[in-house]
Amino acid sequence: MNISPDEAERALSDIQAIMKKNRRIISSSGTYQFLILWGVIWLFGFLSSQFIHSQIVGYIWMGLDILGGIFSAIIGVRIGRRVRNTYFLSGKRIGAFWGLLTLFCAAAILVVWPIDARQLAMVIILFVMMGWISMSLLLSLASIKFGLAIIVLALVGFFILSGVFFLWMAVLGGGGMIAYGLYIRYRW
Amino acid sequence: MSELNETIHQPVRLRIMATLVTLDKNSELDFTYLRDLLGVTDGNLGAHLRKLEEAEYIKVNKSFVDRKPRTYVSATELGKKAFAGHVNALKEILKNDQGM
Repeated sequence: MNISPDEAERALSDIQAIMKKNRRIISSSGTYQFLILWGVIWLFGFLSSQFIHSQIVGYIWMGLDILGGIFSAIIGVRIGRRVRNTYFLSGKRIGAFWGLLTLFCAAAILVVWPIDARQLAMVIILFVMMGWISMSLLLSLASIKFGLAIIVLALVGFFILSGVFFLWMAVLGGGGMIAYGLYIRYRW
Repeated sequence: MSELNETIHQPVRLRIMATLVTLDKNSELDFTYLRDLLGVTDGNLGAHLRKLEEAEYIKVNKSFVDRKPRTYVSATELGKKAFAGHVNALKEILKNDQGM
């Protein structure tokens, strides 16, 4: 079999293009969709915590979290269908990890109760970001920096800007997640 | 010196193999995702997968997920070696051309 150098160059270029496209879709699709989804939830949730009466806020967060859980499950199932991995972490184990982490978080809140809304938000943020970093260590090291940045921003807001903590988390936490998700979607 | 592989060199099969070798060990790709990624029809992809399966370059795994039949595809070790050999042969052609 003989081919011209031009044909060889075209074939190599095709190979590189399809490999890049596949890697980008597989590695980025879940990350950016989860980031945008939870970024929107944090944005609306924390804005309501800052500006709306505290009794209603609990229900708003509950509704947002339920919506987030449903959409996360849908995204997870869609990604799991594309690539099936028989060796590494399966979707069920990832789901179990997040389920157990939620239980630990609830237990930690019960142990330290009573706490105010700001402390409650901070505990939840720490647990969520601990889960994010744990997943990043196993699945995508590039995402660790983002998890650490959110934790640092949250701690700065909690200890230094306590009066506008929720607004701070809405704009920098929620907005940051949406911006990072869009960056992954269009720049990776 | 590496040799070109006629089975793999066909453009669609080349792109199928290029996609499958990017997967982690023990991972397999969904048929419909592969079809959409490559922009081919079900029949076209099926025919090329059969060729690659006959050459033992890929493994096709049919199973049920949520009671629906799904087909997953992965590259075999033989397929990965054949693809790497083909890529090396393409690079050698370019290198020899640039050396002239």
